[in-house]
Amino acid sequence: MAGRIAKLPLAASLVALLGLVDAIYLTIHHYNAEPVPCGAGFDCETVLASAWADIGGVPLAAFGAAAYFVAFSLALLAAFGDGRMWKLFGVQVVIMAAVTCWLIYLQAFVIGAFCQFCLLSAITTFLLLLLFVISKVTRAQL
Amino acid sequence: MANTPEKPKSNAPLLIIGAVLIVALVGGWYWFSTTKPTPPSANSTPKPGSTQAKPTGIPSSAPAGATPPNYYGSPTAAVTLEEFADFQCPQCAATNPVMSEIKAAYGSRIRFIFRNYPLDMHDKSYDAAVAAEAAGMQGKFWDMQNLLFTNQKTWASDPNYKQAWKDYAAKIGLNVDKWETDMAGLPAKQRVNDDKARAKAAGINSTPTLFVNNVEVPFAQINLNGLKTIIDAELAKAAQGQQPAPAANTANANK
Repeated sequence: MAGRIAKLPLAASLVALLGLVDAIYLTIHHYNAEPVPCGAGFDCETVLASAWADIGGVPLAAFGAAAYFVAFSLALLAAFGDGRMWKLFGVQVVIMAAVTCWLIYLQAFVIGAFCQFCLLSAITTFLLLLLFVISKVTRAQL
Repeated sequence: MANTPEKPKSNAPLLIIGAVLIVALVGGWYWFSTTKPTPPSANSTPKPGSTQAKPTGIPSSAPAGATPPNYYGSPTAAVTLEEFADFQCPQCAATNPVMSEIKAAYGSRIRFIFRNYPLDMHDKSYDAAVAAEAAGMQGKFWDMQNLLFTNQKTWASDPNYKQAWKDYAAKIGLNVDKWETDMAGLPAKQRVNDDKARAKAAGINSTPTLFVNNVEVPFAQINLNGLKTIIDAELAKAAQGQQPAPAANTANANK
């Protein structure tokens, strides 16, 4: 069982790394004030320059990068056998998922535009949550 | 693992976490450094007041843009502030109050030129620019410009946005029928196209982009204090008898 569950934290740490890269990219974009390449149907600039794109001048992506780094660290520690870190990871991804839901709501109903890099981050967060839920369900079945 | 929590048996995870942190910080900084706008080169010729600005300007070979341009202030002012903006760009809307304060603070001591640069990524910005130009044909460019920016969040997400613009046109006292006719006509569109051609020739790829006496204002200085610092430096140099940089055509401007 331990080996089986440890694979999930390991997978979560890799997914968190993907989220970290995405968040770092958006943070750099913010400080360089350079437009990001945006796919058809998206309007990245409208989202990334909106009133919700930063908190006190600090881009939301920077907070995201910090969150992904913490998630990565917790997942990796769990993958190496520290079960308490996996519980902390669970608490964190639930909070991240809640924030992500709010950000998706803002894009869909307030800003009226989507940013593909923000959606990638959302997918990453939900994937982290899914991995955590799977670990819990698996445990319940055992 | 979940039933019997254990602590890591080695330092491996901590080493990996530390390595990732270092790679993220160093890599992020390198990424930032290599993608940020080109810094001034050592052998470039600085323009007045360019100590904190990139020495990039609009090349003299660039198209003049809409002629006459939409400008505010004095056509003979020693300092020209030229803004390229997109009506659907949130940062441009956020900058609009700053520009209003600049106009109020400096009046005829500067010339503020507004250029349309509707970005292709925005579905309504080209039409918005045409709407403002059509209002300009009745001498109400700035009123419409201000309303479009002030209410950007409202109309940008409104499927019936043209009705909202029509309401703005009525609100500022336009002959709405003429305004609609002008919106459909070529002259207003041509003015937008001319401004856009100037922006493209200047290599502008984001909005808002500002130039003070043809020196690009760094994005971080597009705020009231940053702009005042640059403008004051230019005014001081002009007062000392230095020649300001050449700027755009302003004959018969819509002010």
